[in-house]
Amino acid sequence: MKHFGALLMKDVRLMVSGKFFLMSLGFLILYTLYVNFGYIRFMDVGMYQVYMYDPEGTQKEASSLVHRVPSEKELEAALLEDDNGVGINASNGKLQVLYSEESKKAGCHKADYAISLLRQSEKYNARIMGIQTPEQKARRDITCELLFFEMIAVGFLGIAAVIFKEKNMGVIRVCAILPVKRNWFLLSKITVFLLSDLVFAILLTLFNVGLSDTAGILPGVLLQTAFLSIIMALSGVICALLLKDFRQFTLAYLLITIFAATPVFMSANTPIKLEWIRFHPFYHIYMGLKNAYFEMSGNSPLYYLGCLIAVGGLFAVTLYIFRREMGKER
Amino acid sequence: MKSLLYQLKSVLRDKFCLMTFLLPIVMAAVLNFADSVDFTSVGDFQFGILEDNVASHTITWLERYGRVIVYGTQEELVDAINEPSTNLIGVEKEGNGIGTMLSGDELDIFRQTANTLPILYDQRKSVAQREVLVLEQPNVMEGFQDMLIVATLIVAMFMGCTFNAMNMISEKEDGVAYVNEILPMSRSRYILQKLIVGFAGGCLSSIITACVCFRYSLQEFAFMLILIVLSSFVAALTGLFIGKVSAGMMTGVAYIKIIMLLFIAVPVLDFLVEFQHPFVATLLYLVPSQAAFEGIMNLLAGSPELSVKDILILFAHCIIWFFLYLSISRQKKKKV
Repeated sequence: MKHFGALLMKDVRLMVSGKFFLMSLGFLILYTLYVNFGYIRFMDVGMYQVYMYDPEGTQKEASSLVHRVPSEKELEAALLEDDNGVGINASNGKLQVLYSEESKKAGCHKADYAISLLRQSEKYNARIMGIQTPEQKARRDITCELLFFEMIAVGFLGIAAVIFKEKNMGVIRVCAILPVKRNWFLLSKITVFLLSDLVFAILLTLFNVGLSDTAGILPGVLLQTAFLSIIMALSGVICALLLKDFRQFTLAYLLITIFAATPVFMSANTPIKLEWIRFHPFYHIYMGLKNAYFEMSGNSPLYYLGCLIAVGGLFAVTLYIFRREMGKER
Repeated sequence: MKSLLYQLKSVLRDKFCLMTFLLPIVMAAVLNFADSVDFTSVGDFQFGILEDNVASHTITWLERYGRVIVYGTQEELVDAINEPSTNLIGVEKEGNGIGTMLSGDELDIFRQTANTLPILYDQRKSVAQREVLVLEQPNVMEGFQDMLIVATLIVAMFMGCTFNAMNMISEKEDGVAYVNEILPMSRSRYILQKLIVGFAGGCLSSIITACVCFRYSLQEFAFMLILIVLSSFVAALTGLFIGKVSAGMMTGVAYIKIIMLLFIAVPVLDFLVEFQHPFVATLLYLVPSQAAFEGIMNLLAGSPELSVKDILILFAHCIIWFFLYLSISRQKKKKV
């Protein structure tokens, strides 16, 4: 056990000297600033504004939501400025609705909505089925995305960088003749990365979702984070051991971050549903994380089984490659 | 000339470099393909109803505004409404009219739509008496696509930077940099040679990317070419700076990432937020890619005369950075 402690300390020191923790801290600050000062403020999409030109004053009942403009020119100018707005031209005794359309159906709704504002009507409020406010949802959404991205992109890069450094320095081969169990070498690395990811997840969630909401979701989030962290760390080790140098790795890394993460984000966050996405392993992990953030019970036992198998399989592969790398020395 | 050939030879052997030059071209082709996919229905509303709860003429009415999805049980419907990735509005029968259900965490536009839908339903006959004029306006989605294509183009131009930085760092790591110090070659010639490979690669990659994405007239093509050449030059220079500053491959990659993020984020952010303040707008031009982005966007909008300003700014960037680099490397040499 003493040996394991020494290995752990060595890895921590290596990461400190590689400015790994500093980088994580930097990203944590960057993400927190982005969520609190950028995302939350810019993400809301309001209802279309309605502008009306009504020189004869025929529309007396019109709701206060309708902005009256004094001339036809200004109506055009308003619509040019606000391309999501709707215009009503009530001059010459007829009602003309003007809008630019992204799709037929959305356009139809725009026109009907604008006309309906011309009459007095009772106020109606839709029945609320959920428990979150839009801001709470947005915070959870973006925190989940950032955590996933951070672990896929940054964590993966970190462990690979450490392994490459040790590989180049010959530490791996030195380990072959040290009186320590070989699995420990891998275990200590994964432990360090797991712990740092967990701390990162806790801080990120705390700062961006808020203290009161974090308590309920934290256990689930940490479990999913642990799965993802271990899987990414093991894949990082495999890539680092298989590829020749760091440059080749950057390319593999680019491919993984772009082509693995993009469809997952698209499918999980937009109404675009891709048919083949269920064959994408990261999609399930992402959904697992998202379910944890939204306290939904979507994670089946089959998913956990899959995660365990993935972790076990990756560990076996890593061990095999690692032993081969050590064996080169003998 | 001979030494340039050596440089090119080492590039061809390096698969990483070749791939980085090819990547933006592949991205451009994918974007071009995505052009043919119809995304317009993505923004449409989605309504969820219970089986046998809503009359068929109501469904037809709802379908004028969006997609209607039928659910078997109340739980399924509520789950679908609460599902965080969609903005589904639940619709049910309520007396003679309809009622709506929301999860409460939707964007404002969906909340307002749900709140006004029953009123629209009650007025559905009178609302139909209207004349509609659909305005000709540039499609919002198309604007985004242009932005993505231009961002890809900037990535392509940036490849020269990646290549130069990597090249210099690996020379540093292999010790070739020390050998270069004592070679009988002038400082400026060395810089030019280092510049040219990344510059030529960046140019080539962006020209092919531009050809994949855009169709334009001869005059526009000339403007585009000038923009590409100038920005590739700046990018290649940036690569030299990164190569000079970074000690190892790791820090080099970190610097490249930060610079790349800055180069892409600044113009894209400006495009999305539209900073009006003149001071901020001028400040943004300190990042060379902003000028390139604005120039290409102006070209796409069909006003090449506007991009002359951007070309001049880029040109200034080229000269300032080049002489800055030259003076820095001279100073360093004196120290040696």
